[in-house]
Amino acid sequence: MKKILVADDEMAIRLLYSEELKEEGYEVYLAANGREALEIVDKIPLDLVILDIKMPEMDGIEALRQIKERRPDLPVLLSTAYGEYRQDFATWASDEYLVKSSDLEDLKSVVKRYLKD
Amino acid sequence: MAAERAGFLTQMVEVLTSTVSFGERLNNMVHLLARHLKVDLALYFALDKAREALVLQISSAGPIPAHLRLEFGLGQGLVGETAATRKPRVVHRHQTGVLEANQALGKLHPAFHTLAAFPVADDNFMYGVLLLVDREDRAFTPAERQSVQLACLMLAGTLRQAIVQEEAKKRIAELSVLFEVGKALSSTVELEVLLERIVSTTAKVITARGAALHIQDKATGEARVSSRYGQIPSVCPALPEMLPSPGASGEPPHHEGQAVDADGRTHFCLAVPLTFKGPLTGTLGVYDKLSPAGEFLPFDPENRQLLYTMAGVVVNAIENALTYQQVEDLAERNERMVMNLTTLQEIYRALLTTVQAEKLLDMVLQGLTLEQGLGFDRALVLLVDEATLTLNGAKGARRTPALIKSSLYDALLRPLSQAIPLTDWQIPLRTDQGPLAQAVLMKRPYHWHRAQKAPGLPGPLAQKYAAREFYVVPLIVKDRATGVLMVDNHDSGRPLSTEVLGVLQMFAAQAALVLENARLYSTIEANNRELLLMRERMLESDRLAALSSLASGMAHEIRNPLVSIGGFARRIAKLVEEKSPLRGYVEVIQEEVTRLEKLLREILDFTGENLSYYGDHDLAKLIEDTLVLVQRDLKASKIEVVKDYAELPRLHCDDRQMKQVFYNLFQNALQAMPQGGNLTIRTYPLEKPDGLYEAVAITDTGGGIPLEVLHNIFNPFFSTKDYGTGLGLAIAQRIISRHYGQIEVNNEMGKGVTFIVSLPVAKYCLVKETGQRVVPASALHAPKGGGG
Repeated sequence: MKKILVADDEMAIRLLYSEELKEEGYEVYLAANGREALEIVDKIPLDLVILDIKMPEMDGIEALRQIKERRPDLPVLLSTAYGEYRQDFATWASDEYLVKSSDLEDLKSVVKRYLKD
Repeated sequence: MAAERAGFLTQMVEVLTSTVSFGERLNNMVHLLARHLKVDLALYFALDKAREALVLQISSAGPIPAHLRLEFGLGQGLVGETAATRKPRVVHRHQTGVLEANQALGKLHPAFHTLAAFPVADDNFMYGVLLLVDREDRAFTPAERQSVQLACLMLAGTLRQAIVQEEAKKRIAELSVLFEVGKALSSTVELEVLLERIVSTTAKVITARGAALHIQDKATGEARVSSRYGQIPSVCPALPEMLPSPGASGEPPHHEGQAVDADGRTHFCLAVPLTFKGPLTGTLGVYDKLSPAGEFLPFDPENRQLLYTMAGVVVNAIENALTYQQVEDLAERNERMVMNLTTLQEIYRALLTTVQAEKLLDMVLQGLTLEQGLGFDRALVLLVDEATLTLNGAKGARRTPALIKSSLYDALLRPLSQAIPLTDWQIPLRTDQGPLAQAVLMKRPYHWHRAQKAPGLPGPLAQKYAAREFYVVPLIVKDRATGVLMVDNHDSGRPLSTEVLGVLQMFAAQAALVLENARLYSTIEANNRELLLMRERMLESDRLAALSSLASGMAHEIRNPLVSIGGFARRIAKLVEEKSPLRGYVEVIQEEVTRLEKLLREILDFTGENLSYYGDHDLAKLIEDTLVLVQRDLKASKIEVVKDYAELPRLHCDDRQMKQVFYNLFQNALQAMPQGGNLTIRTYPLEKPDGLYEAVAITDTGGGIPLEVLHNIFNPFFSTKDYGTGLGLAIAQRIISRHYGQIEVNNEMGKGVTFIVSLPVAKYCLVKETGQRVVPASALHAPKGGGG
């Protein structure tokens, strides 16, 4: 079972994403900020990470940088309410940049694309 | 005998010391002598003033008729000899030569036999000769002779006393005259009054019927001042023509004359020179000396002497007064200058109240023609056009009579009442084009006078603008002539003085400055308008930036909960039975969230929007397309739509965004008219300073926006109960400004609101480097798709 980490400071989003992704047959790990996310990345052999950008303690961009340092092969999707961070070259390290929407079909199809095998 | 002699001498003393007049005393004495010596005649011959002849003055026979006024030269006859030798002598008819030498006496006493002559003299002076005549051959006794000689001595004493007295009287008279004159002269320094006093005093002291005074310039002969008093006979020459010439035998110069008038009366005149130190010369004259009986008498040397004295005294006084008058003239001139300066200052104060060239021009003309101002009859302003190198008429004005109780300042601010149009005045700036062009080219004022035969206004202007004389003063700013002021006093004919020219030049300097300032200001104003426009745009973009950050902040905050609300709604929807009523509720949640998310995208996506949707669109069609979207709501609210579309060229715009604008405005109107009303949509072309616009006016009947919120309606997130969209208008404004258009609100409280959206027909964009707008030809003519 593919392992996905969802990092978002909003509990409701974490819940929604985990429900939807579990339904798709993934094992879902949850983190409330970048620091927690890194801890999980270090412990668990993850297959994919979904990172929110605006988070307390450590934001998604910093988390992205550190994850890519530790596991350059791990796909990291940025899922954010902000469209404009697309211009921030730090986000270019991510594999995908997605703007959050209540319709999760886009997100799920992207995840599926990365975890095909 | 001795007693008789003593009686005679006593009588003699009585006569001589009596209080009767001197002439009377002399007369009495002569009679006394005749009586005492019992001679036929006692005669007194007086030595004349010239001391050349002895003239019969008194006769014991009574008054002497004119033909018997005998006269003997000094040494001539017994009388003359006695006067010459100062020795008494007695001669008899029969003695040799006596009759011949004294034949003249025969007229008085044809049968005279004895003549006894006694000198009347004292140690110093010879006064005359006493002559005793008798028909008898008489030999006077020594006692008789002694008596007579004593009488003669006493007579001489009396005469001397009389002369001294006369002298003293004259001196006193002269002194009193001088005192009078001095009094008159010192009492005033006003020239006119002084001269009047001089002539009247002169006439009085000389007892003349008239007196006159005339002062003229030595070099030019130009009259300076003159004054007259009393009667001046017209037959006498005028004073300037009586310039005294040096008198005979070294006498001081004077002029003495006489003339007979039509009635046969002889008039006399006497004039002496007034000798000034400076460049002036003058004459003081008197006419017709009056006798106590009112007869006209010639003037005697004493009068002449007195007149000289007077002349000497008055010269200084006149000189002082002239100097004083010059000082006073200067003071007066200063006062006028101060007044002129005050006037100028007042005008300048008014000129500073505006920078509008047209108003200033009027004020300048008012200043020149108002009676309280410089008061010229006509004034024209012509300005240099540097492009055509001509002097063009700006405006003219006629003299305006002073209105009662109106200060210059107030009058200046009133509109010009008597304007002269000068539209056809165009003078090439060449030296052969008359004084106006020359004033500009030489940067010098010009005084044109018809009499000078100098070239006047060129050709047709000269015929139209008739003038005797005029001033042209250049308007000079920073050594550059920007125009001219031209003034004249054509209607009243008042001369133009050099003093006026000075004031005019000062005025011109001010006028030039304010007119130039106005010109600069209008340039600045144009630049300012441009700047303001730019600044508004900048502010707009500032506001948009604020909107952007606020909106994005808000949007992000909203986006997260929306994602969870919407996401869970979808999850619920999947779980709920197809037939369950819950399914519908969940779908509502889902749809609403989707709508909100779409709105968020629209807002957030404005950032960095490209122009890829721009195209050429028909404004009316965009409106119609948008109306379709709100058709149902309009119907539901019973709102009637009134359309008035003008035939307009296509607009270069983003049709989606423009539809958004109209949609938002329609939403606004819908919310304003929940009880129904009219929605009027009008399109029309609009000419603005920077080009042609297409305008859409959307009017509702929703009662208007309260004043206190009116200024806020374009602020993002501002909303009222009546006009509640908040973001709607802000978005509309943002879209419009991205199209370089404007949105305005006409609010009519109690009626409704009109939003006017105006969009430039030409697609113009700000080219950053030059700040100029570029207008593509396609936008002005038949557009052919695409662009941007």
